[in-house]
Amino acid sequence: QLFFSYFKELVGKEVTVELKNDLAIRGTLHSVDQYLNIKLENTRVVDQDKYPHMLSVRNCFIRGSVVRYVLLPQDGVDIDILHDATRREARGG
Amino acid sequence: MAPGLKRFTDVAGDGTPRLDDAAGEELVCVERAASVALGSRAPEPPGTLFITTRRVIWLSEAEKGRGYAVGFLDITLHAVSRDPEAYPSPCLYTQIEAEADSDEEDGDLDSEADSDSQLPKISEMRIILADAAQLDSLFDAFCHCAELNPDPTAEENEDSDLFHGEGMTNGGWIHGDEDEHMVDGIDPEFFIPNPIGQNGGDDLSSSVLELQINDQRFEDAEEEEARENGH
Repeated sequence: QLFFSYFKELVGKEVTVELKNDLAIRGTLHSVDQYLNIKLENTRVVDQDKYPHMLSVRNCFIRGSVVRYVLLPQDGVDIDILHDATRREARGG
Repeated sequence: MAPGLKRFTDVAGDGTPRLDDAAGEELVCVERAASVALGSRAPEPPGTLFITTRRVIWLSEAEKGRGYAVGFLDITLHAVSRDPEAYPSPCLYTQIEAEADSDEEDGDLDSEADSDSQLPKISEMRIILADAAQLDSLFDAFCHCAELNPDPTAEENEDSDLFHGEGMTNGGWIHGDEDEHMVDGIDPEFFIPNPIGQNGGDDLSSSVLELQINDQRFEDAEEEEARENGH
């Protein structure tokens, strides 16, 4: 449940979602569910040359299973809290 | 179900698709006057879009028996596209999980005489509605149905593994259970108690000798046992 809880904290922040097919999409995190399906707002494709069709869509739903990375805003991450939380999760706590 | 978009021909007499009732598939919504554009091809003539709890089915109005279907498990992304620079009409843009190593190679669609149920590697599909105002509710319907169809492997793993992204295997990087077992290296089962001086020697003198030997032997054995145990 770690990432689900963590992502809920990121709602409203700007993130970049990189998919397994190499597509990178930037947008404001609107919501996330327990399967880590992600809804973004004000999305735009990072590499527009590669994917010209998707210049900009207002809302976007991304299936959790296709996400490779979620790039977090540097100022939106409290490293210490995340560090502690992952250690706790690894211990099964 | 094979991954990706495929042809759909299982149509009932009333023109609606036959659903998999046994699997609990139900109709969620129907959009008449909907057209689909596969890959970079032009949109098909209008037909009817059926959204079920498991998949998206489109049936052509003009060409009876012509249709496509894709499971929500394979719809990796969907979005309402209203940018005319991206596409001339407002539409629901979707990406489809095609087979590995596939790009947008839909040129083979021309050779429809192949009549394979599996279409060649369609990775994008746009749904164009006659009433563009319905696109937002169609987007919501897609979200709802996608949530109804989580990955089967995702249900087996812990949620924390989902973000790993490298295939839904058990190779999540949080190995909580394994670490706990590895902490205690000494397993009681390995510790074989050595009965001291119970060689069964009946002779007193020899027992005494043996006792001495046993003592030494016992010490050696202890070391050997320790070596065996403490790997």
